[in-house]
Amino acid sequence: MDILEFLSYGFIRRAMTAGSFIAVLCSVLGVLLVLRRLSLMGDGLAHVTFGSVALGLAMKVYPLYVSIPVVMISSVGILKMIERAGIYGDAAIGIVSSLGIAVGVVIASASGGLNVDILSYLFGNILSIGDAEVYISMFLAALVLLTIFFYFDEIFSMTFDEEFAKASGINVNRINLILAVLTSVTVVLTMRLVGIMLTSALLILPAVTAFQIGRGFKHTLFIAAASGVTSVITGIFVSFCLDLPAGASIVLINFALFFAAFSLRRFNVFHG
Amino acid sequence: MQAVVSAQDFSCRHNSAEVLSDLSFEVGEGDYVALVGPNGSGKTTLIKAMLGLIKAAKGCIRVFGYHPDEQEEWSKIGYLPQKHLSFNQGFPSTVREIVGLGLPAKKTLSGRNREADIEAIDKALELTNISDISHKLIGDLSGGQQQRVFIARALVNEPKLLILDEPTTALDPETRENFFSLVNGLNKEKNVTVIFVTHDMGTIGKYASKLLYLDKRIIFYGSFDEFCRSDSMAHFFGESSQHIICHKHN
Amino acid sequence: MRKPFHILCSALVVFVLLVSCETKKQTIEVNRNDKLKVVATIFPLYDFARLIGGEAVDVSLLIPPGTEPHSFDPRPENIVSAGRAAIFVYTNDTMEPWAGSMLKGLSSPGLVVVQAGRGIALTEEHRPDDGHDGHRHGHEDAPDPHIWLDFDKARKMVDTIVESFISVNPAKKELYLGNAKKLKDSLAGLDQKFSAALKTCKHNTIVHGGHFAFGYLAKRYGLKYISASGFSPDAEPSPQNLVRMSKTLKKEGLKHIFYEELVTSRMAEVIAKETGASLLLLHGGHNISKQELDNGTAFISLMERNLDNIKEGLQCRR
Repeated sequence: MDILEFLSYGFIRRAMTAGSFIAVLCSVLGVLLVLRRLSLMGDGLAHVTFGSVALGLAMKVYPLYVSIPVVMISSVGILKMIERAGIYGDAAIGIVSSLGIAVGVVIASASGGLNVDILSYLFGNILSIGDAEVYISMFLAALVLLTIFFYFDEIFSMTFDEEFAKASGINVNRINLILAVLTSVTVVLTMRLVGIMLTSALLILPAVTAFQIGRGFKHTLFIAAASGVTSVITGIFVSFCLDLPAGASIVLINFALFFAAFSLRRFNVFHG
Repeated sequence: MQAVVSAQDFSCRHNSAEVLSDLSFEVGEGDYVALVGPNGSGKTTLIKAMLGLIKAAKGCIRVFGYHPDEQEEWSKIGYLPQKHLSFNQGFPSTVREIVGLGLPAKKTLSGRNREADIEAIDKALELTNISDISHKLIGDLSGGQQQRVFIARALVNEPKLLILDEPTTALDPETRENFFSLVNGLNKEKNVTVIFVTHDMGTIGKYASKLLYLDKRIIFYGSFDEFCRSDSMAHFFGESSQHIICHKHN
Repeated sequence: MRKPFHILCSALVVFVLLVSCETKKQTIEVNRNDKLKVVATIFPLYDFARLIGGEAVDVSLLIPPGTEPHSFDPRPENIVSAGRAAIFVYTNDTMEPWAGSMLKGLSSPGLVVVQAGRGIALTEEHRPDDGHDGHRHGHEDAPDPHIWLDFDKARKMVDTIVESFISVNPAKKELYLGNAKKLKDSLAGLDQKFSAALKTCKHNTIVHGGHFAFGYLAKRYGLKYISASGFSPDAEPSPQNLVRMSKTLKKEGLKHIFYEELVTSRMAEVIAKETGASLLLLHGGHNISKQELDNGTAFISLMERNLDNIKEGLQCRR
């Protein structure tokens, strides 16, 4: 089987298209999250999704309708805990995520079982993306990129120094709310599309790769997006050549990219 | 003429302890105020309150006539925070990008990267003598260089009010002198109002026109001349300090 | 202003305490009646135990309905319910790797632990997929735990379970043996129906969009079988494998792809979309949904439904 034949399969093309949009989306959001020391936001919100899907299934409501609002409230909650109670970001994420799991477990056992397996409901696979989901990923990527473009000055300022941003008249609460909402929708939907492992990896690794060689904030965002997309496309090809699972291959390629960028920086290729 | 900063019966609380109590004062246009006082006296709290970062427990404080929550003149205020060097040193931004943070955020897509912005940034870089490192990453600079970047960020808007919270801690003596004369020039030539928090009483005495001595309440507020003549001076600092602080006026 | 809120909260706490005490009382009463209390891990064992014991036993299913057993992690309440039982039935250490450690943590010396798959050798053959260039994966060489899907092996499991019932409660020996015979007869009948029907099929390949559960069944009736992932549904399929499945469907001219129970059928849907095939359920029996459990769905009827679907999928005559 050659590469061209491989590409003639719809699910491979959909994985590459939707995967690339998701990569751009996650990498760009990831840069903002990692710089604010909220790297594990993706993982934390994934656990909250578990709880909310259980709630949805128990209430016999389509789980996404429960998940999205619940996860939004949780991510706002994480930010409020950091801001108001002075709790460190990692601890705040830990609190909310363990609460999410606990609620899920309580509901699942209190309802005496469910009609579908929650875990399988939660975790998608990049190879099983449907046509509608390709459009969802495009729409979501467009929404996030446009928001970041429109509020670029504010978001940049807040990411660097939230207090200074506030003291220069930026409505920090509103921008935080917008970012929390975008992150929540992204985590819930991409997790459903490509699974938690890939969502979490795409939120952290391209960002960290970009920090190694980025020569400015915008430049870093571009590199993160490019490295995310590269990892998805190369990862799918590698998984084809070596007959490996696609998601895991993408994560490994991401790590390879990070390692390459790290070595470049060590050998002072980019910084004179 | 309207006061640039005015406080009436202003009080602040932190964890139910009163940090500032019943402050009433006015800073007029063109004033150069040295804000001094021992550690924990509430200097930074007062500044944060002016910028709306801390809420008043009682009374109010206005800048350019606006309550902090309704401030509409942000672009007239230049601010250098106290802990400006405690940022993430790995932050992937150039000096130019950081200085640009001082400019007002553009809400429209067409308003980005205007000529005027680029010129303003160039000018601020020149004033602080960092044009040659403007494309370096902020984390690759020394502490003193970084401090100059943040000074440039405070100046980039050509503010009418400059709030500087211990701006010279990481500067070498020569750069420090340059910085003082830069601020002095802005104050004298462009009538910029300056509020300058410092422990360096000796140097500030040469430039500031007014002194606000704070220790949870206002101990002294007035001109340096009055301060040097007052009993409180001798009471707080002793005879020897008086000589250092008031040498210009003696 | 806050008082009503406090009162409400306290009332709620008291209510919750009362309700939880109430349920505890009920469980104790169930324990007091003289039925033999049996806990079975997965659905086939639960169903067999229920049919063998009839009115004389009280069987409960350890894994909550709807939960996929491969990814199961026992919770305190499961361990407590296992501790209250007289007999604990599980398949084998490959199917329920968590069972061993769970039982170790349990200090009830009277508990009879039955490994229903005792004495049944697990095949370690890698999946017999066709046109495959001989690539082998680690997990494909692992032993296949899905022994209940070979109805002859299922009969052996019934024997093992009956033995344990008799050893704990010899007085009801006749009842147990009688029920077990009935069950084994229907399993034998099922076996005959499968082998008769599956001889008449136009196709002989089962393409399954789930995990590798039907290896024994396929082997017994001389069918070829390929699945999307390995022995556990958690394993991620490789793109090449999906391509292989699509190719097999096209090459064999199959109109149907099978999907598995409980977990989402997305993988099967993808291949169905690729090849224009339609979906049919192939129930592995591991577990059933809450709704099915409440309806009293039996293992035999699940398998009869499977036969109907396989007959449709492989275009068999009878």
